[in-house]
Amino acid sequence: MNRGVAIWRCVKCRTGFFPQRLLCSRCHGDTFEQDRVYQAVVEEISTIRHMLGQTNWQPRRIASVRTCDGQRITVGLTDESEPGTVIELFEENAAPFGAAKK
Amino acid sequence: MHTNAAIIGVGQSAYTRRPQPGQSTHTFIRDAVIAALADAEIDLREVDGMAVASFSLAPDAAVDLAWKLGLSLRWLVQDTNGGSSAMNMLGHALRAVETGAASVILVAGGDATGLGGYAKVAANFNVVTQLHLAPLGHGGPNGVYALVTSRQMKTYGLQKSDYGHLAIAQRAWAAHNPYAVYRTPMTMEDYLAAPLVADPLSRYDCVPVVAGAQAIVVALLIVVVEACAVGTHGVDPGDIDVASIYDDYPTMVLAQLNDLGMIPGNDLARFARRDIGERRFPLNTWGGMLSAGQPGGPAGGLNGISEAVLQLQHRAGARQVEGARLAVTTGYGMTLYRYGATAAAAVLERLE
Repeated sequence: MNRGVAIWRCVKCRTGFFPQRLLCSRCHGDTFEQDRVYQAVVEEISTIRHMLGQTNWQPRRIASVRTCDGQRITVGLTDESEPGTVIELFEENAAPFGAAKK
Repeated sequence: MHTNAAIIGVGQSAYTRRPQPGQSTHTFIRDAVIAALADAEIDLREVDGMAVASFSLAPDAAVDLAWKLGLSLRWLVQDTNGGSSAMNMLGHALRAVETGAASVILVAGGDATGLGGYAKVAANFNVVTQLHLAPLGHGGPNGVYALVTSRQMKTYGLQKSDYGHLAIAQRAWAAHNPYAVYRTPMTMEDYLAAPLVADPLSRYDCVPVVAGAQAIVVALLIVVVEACAVGTHGVDPGDIDVASIYDDYPTMVLAQLNDLGMIPGNDLARFARRDIGERRFPLNTWGGMLSAGQPGGPAGGLNGISEAVLQLQHRAGARQVEGARLAVTTGYGMTLYRYGATAAAAVLERLE
């Protein structure tokens, strides 16, 4: 588990992206540097109660969040955070997760 | 506006939730092609162009399908834009016919992944899904559109029951469609009592995946007896008599209608309650994919086109909208991360 979530920042105009892009959609720059974002605000939530092809599925919570840098990303929620909650971000491999800031 | 080319025939295979041994994407597409050619009264030997889209044709490609169908073509296209493939292929076919690249074109789409196969498609839809969504247990498109629905509810002040009006009205239409997989009438009580799949989406908000295929035939008007022309110019949203709006989720029906300028004042709630709830506007009159089933994204646009053609040719039987002259059809798809990235629409007109 890594603290924060990796984003890709255009070195020309400094816009940050998640997921990774090939060219900057703002200035068309072709060089990015990796950065990290550590906090986000929960905007919408869903509980995934059923998964096709799975028989012993345990419900999981996901959320659309707005990071402190402005990206809207989808995360797995590991607690009962509700919309408006400020969460701390972390990632497992390349997948973003979050839980309420302590 | 296309004035020299038209849709001259439509056809579909049977739809089934669980394909049987021996049934495949290829056989469903074959059945749809046979039905469309019979409807157009066109012999297979007259076909010189084909467009096809499918999530489950691989490792075959369009040319393999053409070969297996015994076709000899001078125009061939394979489209990979999911729910908007049908609209794309229709546009390509119309332009090809008008420019003389081909004279009779089959446009086909279908899938037969089965439910387990669809789950694999959903979890591996693209690199972003593999890396950033599937590990969350995001539930495939259900999870994505659950979040989209919540966002739309918040933005437009919608209630859960507003989406129910769409599902219920479409189920009523489906009762008159022998191909629909779900035809039993549904009440608001049924809708609201359905188990949640991905909050706020419940069972009847999520399109049922089926195996099946659709096909249409596009040709030069000179060979056409009864047809539908396709265009986009000079039509006011209020002129539309019947609409086929891509309906993998009710939220996307309202989003597309709003983008088309067909919801006065952007009042989505009023439109759902009044125009759909009170049956004032004929929407997805074959039952839509929510009741008839979604034979993969690509064919999921073709079924809307096919229904529009039947309506405009006044051949829709008990579903017929009286005097239908103009129809709008849409496609939407390719959920790349937080929403679909492709959308297309066409206006179809009855040729008098």
